[in-house]
Amino acid sequence: MASRDVVLLSIDSGRDGLPSNALRLAAMGRRLADQRGGQLRWLVLGDLPTQLATLAGSYGVTAVDHADDDSLGGWAGDAQVNAAASYLGDRQGALLIAAQTFDSRCIVPRIAARLGCGVVMNVVDLDSDDDGLSLTAAAYGGDTRSGYRFEGDATAVVALGDNVVDAGPAGSQGEAPLETVSLDCGEPERVSVVERAVTEGPRLEDAEVIVAGGRGLQDAANLGLVEELATALGGVVGASRPIVDDGWIDRSQQVGLTGSITRPRLYIAAGISGASQHMVGCTSAKTLVAINIDPDAAVFRQCRYGLVGDCLELLPAITRAIKES
Amino acid sequence: MRVVVCAREVLDPDAVSNYVLEGKLEIGEDGRSVVNASIPRLMNAYDEQALEAALRLKDNDESVTVDVVSLGSDSADILKHAAAMGADGIFHLAADPAGLDCSAIGRLLGAWVGSSGGAQLVLCGRQASDDDQGVVPAVLAEALSLPLVTIARDVAVAGDGWRVIRATPDGDETVQVDCSAVVTISNELGDPRYPTMSNKMKARRRTAETVEPSSLGLSADELAPRVVMTSTSVPELHGQCEFIEGGSVDEQAAALVARLRQDEAIAGGSA
Repeated sequence: MASRDVVLLSIDSGRDGLPSNALRLAAMGRRLADQRGGQLRWLVLGDLPTQLATLAGSYGVTAVDHADDDSLGGWAGDAQVNAAASYLGDRQGALLIAAQTFDSRCIVPRIAARLGCGVVMNVVDLDSDDDGLSLTAAAYGGDTRSGYRFEGDATAVVALGDNVVDAGPAGSQGEAPLETVSLDCGEPERVSVVERAVTEGPRLEDAEVIVAGGRGLQDAANLGLVEELATALGGVVGASRPIVDDGWIDRSQQVGLTGSITRPRLYIAAGISGASQHMVGCTSAKTLVAINIDPDAAVFRQCRYGLVGDCLELLPAITRAIKES
Repeated sequence: MRVVVCAREVLDPDAVSNYVLEGKLEIGEDGRSVVNASIPRLMNAYDEQALEAALRLKDNDESVTVDVVSLGSDSADILKHAAAMGADGIFHLAADPAGLDCSAIGRLLGAWVGSSGGAQLVLCGRQASDDDQGVVPAVLAEALSLPLVTIARDVAVAGDGWRVIRATPDGDETVQVDCSAVVTISNELGDPRYPTMSNKMKARRRTAETVEPSSLGLSADELAPRVVMTSTSVPELHGQCEFIEGGSVDEQAAALVARLRQDEAIAGGSA
């Protein structure tokens, strides 16, 4: 009989702490496991983040299956795909849910291909029923939603985008039991890292406050106004793709479809028109503020507060108002 | 040395975006196709950048052959565009994408690359600008048992393989692969070249070589969709923007800060 289990997948991120999306992953897994009447298990490949077992426990995860083979750390695409595929090979019919990250994007579809099963990325919502799975995924850079359907009880693989509906409440308390699993990681990696990316400063994904600039700043020199407000708010500077493409600012500051997907408490978009490819990276902000000279700019459709005016005047004024109060 | 580029036709995503914003996106009777007739059909921009990456390799090494393959019911225009940009061979995999999922498309493309002599490098766009899935290159890599390197901004020959610079959220990461590989290209590669007028004229007379999917030896099960797209819809925007208007710039700024403190979006509500 086909497994009704739900398996959450976490791959080694090379960073300390619980990934920011772990909570939403656990909540979605809980809901789907309840719908399917199966176990909820959490497969962790590589380092086990501290507090993951506690989080897993609070969502009623039956067990955290931890594979800690040395080959699973760092760039380990081949080993991670091999290990996950061998784990799921013993659980035909299971539903694998991964959080979609830069790294998991290249792992998750390979796992599905290895298993010969279907896969959907960018998932914002999913539900299980007697006949299969219904999913909603973001498309056209967030402009549209696509509905998908898995029929039957075959293994299915999905990756949750960062714009998933908010996490449901936690259930039982206490740590989930930890089980060490030994999985076949296969041959040595075919891809090796020659030079690692180096991050300076806090990451956009983790930022509580982001002040982002776009073409409306008119000149790279005016990015200083964005930096000053970000500093006054204890936040991080973000950017839209056009000014990254123009070389005003490093790509690591880019917010959006091809940059970072953020979920800050406060996001201020200055001189950003609101192309969907940018908005997909910031609409999960708790409070979104837009400053744009064009009252019809698309960005105003999705923000909480809007200021119509020149961001070169408004940015320093807001910085002063913060400092004065 | 053979480099294969996989290219797909998509609806112009900017035009789709405009129709969405105007509330005029039309969905067909099947519930999932965008049917606005005036939306142009283009080569997926990331695929165009993948072709640019291949052509840069060819610029540096005359022995490089660039073959472009497209799967779809109507790929003639984008394949002519590929030829005009400088592709050596253009191939039309004549399968109807409507009955296929990303996994089946990846397997078909992989089977064609394998049966047509293999490749030292297969380049794809990082994702298609319509479904944003990015699944096909991964399935293709698995079908050919090749390593996959994603989101590249530069690809160069190195030893028996490739030196690839990936554009990660943390900055550039350089990786080395010592064999044939599938690499996906991101927009950081830079703008693709414009075809010259004379190349466009020459490309007009080119006809793509048609590849029948039945010639690739895949079983019905390998082509059966595991997942089916059922609908397209436009999400409701949750904005309800309150415009802060009136007064001087400083007064507007103060009003915004007051609201943000009230909402606890910024700290220090007592000030």
